[in-house]
Amino acid sequence: MDTWNLLLEGFATALQPIYLLFALLGVLLGTAVGVLPGIGPAMTVALLLPITYALEPTAAFIVFAGIYYGGMYGGSTTSILLNTPGESASIVTALEGNKMARAGRGAAALATAAIGSFVAGTIATVLLTLLAPTVARFAVSLGPSDYFALMVIAFLTVGALLGDSAWRGMLSLSIGLLIGLIGVDTLTGQARFTLGIPQLGDGIDVVLVAVGLFALGEALYVGSRLRGGELPIIPITRGWRTWMRRSDWARSWKSWLRGAGIGFPIGSIPAGGADVATFLSYATERSLAKPEYKAQFGKGAIEGVAGPESANNAAAAGVLVPLLTLGIPTTATAAIILSAFQTYGIQPGPRLFETQSTLVWALIASLFIGNTLLLVLNLPLVGMWVKLLQIPRPYLYAGILVFAGLGAYAANFTVFDIGVLLVLGVLGFFMRRLGFPIAPLVVGAILGPMAEEQLRKAMQIAQGDPAYLVHSPFSWFAYGAMALIIVLALWLKRRRARYEASLPAVDTTAISELDEQIELHEPHPEVDRGRLSTTALPKVRRSGPNHPEGPGVGGDG
Amino acid sequence: MTSSTTAGAPSGAPAASRSARIEAMAFVGFLVLLSIAVLIATTTIREPPGSTNTLGARVVPYAVGGLLLVSSLVVLVQQLRGRFGHAEAGEDVDLEHGTSWGVTGIVMLSFLSLMVTIPHLGWPLGVTVLFTGASLALGAKRWWAAALIGLTMGVVTQIVFGTLLGLSLPVTGTLTSWIGL
Repeated sequence: MDTWNLLLEGFATALQPIYLLFALLGVLLGTAVGVLPGIGPAMTVALLLPITYALEPTAAFIVFAGIYYGGMYGGSTTSILLNTPGESASIVTALEGNKMARAGRGAAALATAAIGSFVAGTIATVLLTLLAPTVARFAVSLGPSDYFALMVIAFLTVGALLGDSAWRGMLSLSIGLLIGLIGVDTLTGQARFTLGIPQLGDGIDVVLVAVGLFALGEALYVGSRLRGGELPIIPITRGWRTWMRRSDWARSWKSWLRGAGIGFPIGSIPAGGADVATFLSYATERSLAKPEYKAQFGKGAIEGVAGPESANNAAAAGVLVPLLTLGIPTTATAAIILSAFQTYGIQPGPRLFETQSTLVWALIASLFIGNTLLLVLNLPLVGMWVKLLQIPRPYLYAGILVFAGLGAYAANFTVFDIGVLLVLGVLGFFMRRLGFPIAPLVVGAILGPMAEEQLRKAMQIAQGDPAYLVHSPFSWFAYGAMALIIVLALWLKRRRARYEASLPAVDTTAISELDEQIELHEPHPEVDRGRLSTTALPKVRRSGPNHPEGPGVGGDG
Repeated sequence: MTSSTTAGAPSGAPAASRSARIEAMAFVGFLVLLSIAVLIATTTIREPPGSTNTLGARVVPYAVGGLLLVSSLVVLVQQLRGRFGHAEAGEDVDLEHGTSWGVTGIVMLSFLSLMVTIPHLGWPLGVTVLFTGASLALGAKRWWAAALIGLTMGVVTQIVFGTLLGLSLPVTGTLTSWIGL
């Protein structure tokens, strides 16, 4: 098949030593920031956007692909090992994984999450490889009105589904759309909302929006209520061979496959991103579990880690389908990657597979490579990753500010942008304090101008007749699907909130007792061969703390 | 953390205090005023003649202003009925204690100092000022350690992004041009 030839060519590009090095850099950075509390993949990609000003596109996107996948792996390590009760319930993996770790089964939770992420990530990337060219071929036939429909779907689903309440999301979205409007209108040449400031004539750079809201806003917010003292990390001291017991494998593999099957389709439609996929997977695992294991849900069931974690990674790959084939981002990270494409003057969409075929296939091949690198790197290095959690917070957040400043200044090399960034950062700060989701704003600011362009193109074709917007069967289908998605996803969210509220607090002895009861009839070796440990590593003491990344500078965190 | 979309996750945050309620009402009230200003400003966008049967430069701004007005009013009403948002939770965030406004202010000022320091002192020293100020405000104990890390970061970013990747970051500024690098 033609796709396979193209993919092989992609591998030939991505396997060149220099690109392998970029892939390694990407996954290491991605895992590191995924592990670090307070920094997500969206913030990392935003902070690293300045490299797009210097690197060639293929190298830059290989780094971004590594960060994107690495961030997912790193995040699960944190939620399993870090005991922060307030937050852990909001992420499904932590629901079971954290309880497993508290009962001394952290290694198994980490292993099932990592292997599941690899399995599901690979399956989902294969599906992406097969599906994307087909979707792209179909999408070539879509007209401006169809694109406008797709963008409206992206707006409304992202706005309505991410966050506490639908209207708060819509408010965030409309602020983003307003930011996108600032500048000189491309069609008529009229200045809009520039307040007479010439620097605003080109509009506010999307890099500034992403960095200001995700990096500066987050750093200001965390800085304003920084937790004192050290974060309690749950230690792991189990042997390599006993990471996963035979029964763990038997209970995990089906969940991995189901997670991939649930995550990929949900990721590829704009349905509120990975949150919906993980919860759906969790609910499925709970209802499909054998009766004797069912009692363990809420108390550290391994299926509850394996399924959602796989679903999460598969959804991340699914998000790339609409991004690459239609140019439509459905999460904040995807929106920022889209803006990186735009920095290079590349427009993701159906033509991307024709005009930039080398770049796209190298990117897809690097997803496979990154996934494998992550599996190899992560399990043996878990002790090192956990060390990252001990970076003193003042230095960590001050470092984020430095990179935010770099991103803002390097956008246009004017200090005016530093001021714009601070305004956006303060906006992000208050939105976090008052419970408004950030992602819809970023998606609105990046996708808004594109949607307006499509709308006006459609209106020119139709000579001003608004009925043209719904003339094609595709747009009917799209708006219908949107209504369905929103209703279903809101219902799921409500169910999830109710489930999480109903969870009783469980103490550690009860968890281990139940675990022992289930494992009583399963013989497995208890030999301690090799060590996977987050505590046994020798503590590195440096004479002077002049290494910002150095883990040994503990004490004033 | 596991996904990029965890914004506004439900959390066990305590019920909104009086000052938090006032702050929330003020923020949303500001957005209501902003949306009215947007709608008024839209009427002043000039529409070139001759483009009557296609969409002009005003239509989308009207729609966005309208959406902003409607959604901010709905949230305002929700808050009047007692439905406030939950402050975002995070591993490093302590929701039980109050906000340290002093810290936030100094961090903002440190960041804003880049507007002055980049043209006058150059990038590496600008970073040193920002890093030292922000990390001391956030609770770093030894000022010399903070300054040293800041200077290292400034020099390293200058070398990596300025020299190796070719971004034109100024090594020195108007006040430090005598260094002669």
